[in-house]
Amino acid sequence: MEKHDTDILIIGAGGAGMFAALHAQKAAPEAKVTIAVKGLLGKCGCTRMVQGGYNVAIGNGDSVERHFMDTIIGGKWLPHQDMAWKLCETAVVRIHELENEIGCFFDRHPDGSMHQKAFAGQSFDRTVHKGDLTGIEIISRLMEQVLSRPIDRLEEHRALALIPSKSGNALSGVLFVDMRSGEFRFVRAKAVLLATGGGPTMYKYHTPSGDKTMDGLHMALRLGLPLRDMEMVQFHPTGLLGGSDTRMTGTVLEEGLRGAGGYLLDGAERRFMFDYDEKGERATRDIVSRAIFDEMRKGHTTTNGGVYISMGHLGPDNVREKFQGMVKRCADCGFDLAGGLVEVVPTAHYFMGGLVCDADTRTELPGLYVAGEDAGGAHGSNRLGGNGVANSTVYGGVAGDVMAADIDPHSGKFLHALRESDEDLITAEIERTEQPFAKKPGDIHELRQKLMDLMWDDVGVMRTRDQLVNGLEKLSDLKDEFGECGLADDNRTFNLTWHDWLNMQSLIAISETIAQAALWRENSRGAHYREDFPESGNMEDSYFTVVRQDTEGDLNVSREPVEFTIVKPGETLLDEDSETLAAV
Amino acid sequence: MSQSKELLQVSVRRGTEDESGLSTYEVPQQESQTILDVVTWIQRHREPSLSYRFACRVGMCGSCAMMVNGEPRWTCRTHVQKVLRDGRLRIEPLRNLPVIRDLVCDMTEFFDKWTRAKGVFEPTETRDDEFAAIKPSDPKRMQANAAIECINCAVCYAACDTVNLNRAYLGPAALNRAWTLANDDRDGAYYDRLAAVSESDGCMNCHSHQSCMTYCPNELNPTASIAGLKRLASLAYLKGKL
Repeated sequence: MEKHDTDILIIGAGGAGMFAALHAQKAAPEAKVTIAVKGLLGKCGCTRMVQGGYNVAIGNGDSVERHFMDTIIGGKWLPHQDMAWKLCETAVVRIHELENEIGCFFDRHPDGSMHQKAFAGQSFDRTVHKGDLTGIEIISRLMEQVLSRPIDRLEEHRALALIPSKSGNALSGVLFVDMRSGEFRFVRAKAVLLATGGGPTMYKYHTPSGDKTMDGLHMALRLGLPLRDMEMVQFHPTGLLGGSDTRMTGTVLEEGLRGAGGYLLDGAERRFMFDYDEKGERATRDIVSRAIFDEMRKGHTTTNGGVYISMGHLGPDNVREKFQGMVKRCADCGFDLAGGLVEVVPTAHYFMGGLVCDADTRTELPGLYVAGEDAGGAHGSNRLGGNGVANSTVYGGVAGDVMAADIDPHSGKFLHALRESDEDLITAEIERTEQPFAKKPGDIHELRQKLMDLMWDDVGVMRTRDQLVNGLEKLSDLKDEFGECGLADDNRTFNLTWHDWLNMQSLIAISETIAQAALWRENSRGAHYREDFPESGNMEDSYFTVVRQDTEGDLNVSREPVEFTIVKPGETLLDEDSETLAAV
Repeated sequence: MSQSKELLQVSVRRGTEDESGLSTYEVPQQESQTILDVVTWIQRHREPSLSYRFACRVGMCGSCAMMVNGEPRWTCRTHVQKVLRDGRLRIEPLRNLPVIRDLVCDMTEFFDKWTRAKGVFEPTETRDDEFAAIKPSDPKRMQANAAIECINCAVCYAACDTVNLNRAYLGPAALNRAWTLANDDRDGAYYDRLAAVSESDGCMNCHSHQSCMTYCPNELNPTASIAGLKRLASLAYLKGKL
């Protein structure tokens, strides 16, 4: 096994990971900064897939306070308020950094000033964007900056385990497998950032990039670290549906289609949204997702088991012009969005839950930091569209600065020296990942399908106690079955099926935490909907769930009160003047 | 569920840079089926150790490009119907890049050239400054915008005959990015970049075969971008700046 040392190690190369690398390298130019990623730099993960844009309070009449209040109210009073505040406040700096230093160019008004568009759930038009492909602009420019700097890259390196020091009181390093060779590699570092991106791909229908399988949270869970808000899975109402044999299934058809007047039709081509909400198709994401799910349960479905989106009544040429990207994407895959019917389903989109940390990205374990979708707290029970990429870029940068400061000998953090590793754990972790090679080859794909079906049916858009208990039983059976599923050890070079196996292990473990947390939350907040507890509960008594795995491998769930450190339910940071100004 | 109709005859190049051969598989045809789905089906049902690369599944990340019946394609957005010939498909790794294994190429040289062509923004302002007031109607901004939506999938690089004949050539994608920066009023490395792209393996090598334009899945025109760079580089040379 190859071993080497670095000063700052970043796992993940999306918006959070690359910002962390750039900031760390700038703040500590003498330090060795290494960025490791499961795919290619900037080409995997979800920052690249951002369509909407970047929420930031820079418009006349807008304010950090207003953005913050929208985030808190959108998150149904569950967000970690200090994190939400820092997100909104720092987004203002970060967007200027992206434009002026990184080289992004976002859409302008005809006079050359920055354009900001309206996005659901916000009281102000504050979403900076580049057409509907904002993520590509952000990630490509970040990638170029990282490529041109003295930052070491470990591409197609999958992180397998976080390894603590021998004494156990800090992190020592990270065990990887180099996917290109199939060889193991251990990298020690003074500070490590977990920025692998969440991604609820354990659901039958999901939007994230195929490489995202909750590996970061699975590594944190195995170390006994606390995960919060794990029941909070955001569903997008309109994912493309093309059958179970195509990877296109689940990918997002944008929100704007409904906003522009698109119809949702059941299998018999009947509009149904007005049965659920007076706003019809224009109701919020969660309401539309639940309505579609309900229609699907009643069997009012299309050939592939979803519903239709229909745009033709708006004039096919008009649709083609207004939604060029979406129409072309559908056409490439054989669907006519402009004039025909396209099958859609709700699809698991974003994971609000994550590793517990403070607003400086520090976790409970010295030497381990977290940012982006792996970090829990900033969004509470529901993320506003446009707050995702703001979050990852803001906190990636924060993490880079904080890690650079913490490894300084004068910081008082005692992280300036590399730490001796728990070698027994490295051995055990290698054994864990090699398990399938000793067993009879099985059908991992079939098991993945089973997992996605059970999570969709029992731990999905709408939940009940009975279903969740049922889901947990099925998960337990699946885990046993998976334990017996092996694969041939003929070639470990770029062996996707081995990685499918490792992906499954992460997904099953995190699925259990989702189901457990969902069982513990006996009310309905944001993305979490319990049919047996449809009320939201008192906002003043808001709690968040925390899941930890003990040394026996059992999950312990607890509820912690939300601390209203900045604003209390019923109060606002906005005064009448700012309300009037925004209304104007 | 969509019914399987006929069987596709699919040959896939397997092996390494030094040694490879075509293996043939019969894959059930589906109504909704991309080339990436065909490759995935083979991995899931016939060859668990088949190597290929993909990420986003929807044409945003540019990870999954391959040669399909001899032409470079983004496989996640290429419907089987579009490229099928007599019920047959031949799927191979991208041309002009070294193969790691099976359908996976090493893209290091592609990105090294991106950096060599100074495909990186050189700031003149900081986060403490206001945004540059650039109108969307500004002619240079329009030039940059027309070429900016590149997903670095390397389809153009694989399509390029000049790269094929001279592996040191910077290639269409890196030069296209340099062109967008040459039209970016905020950038501070104009002449340095023109010098970088005018070196012996740079933009002057392009013979305007236009394969990059023909195959770019995002309908960009790197040939035009490279022609633009040639023009700017010549002007800079006449001015004595290079």
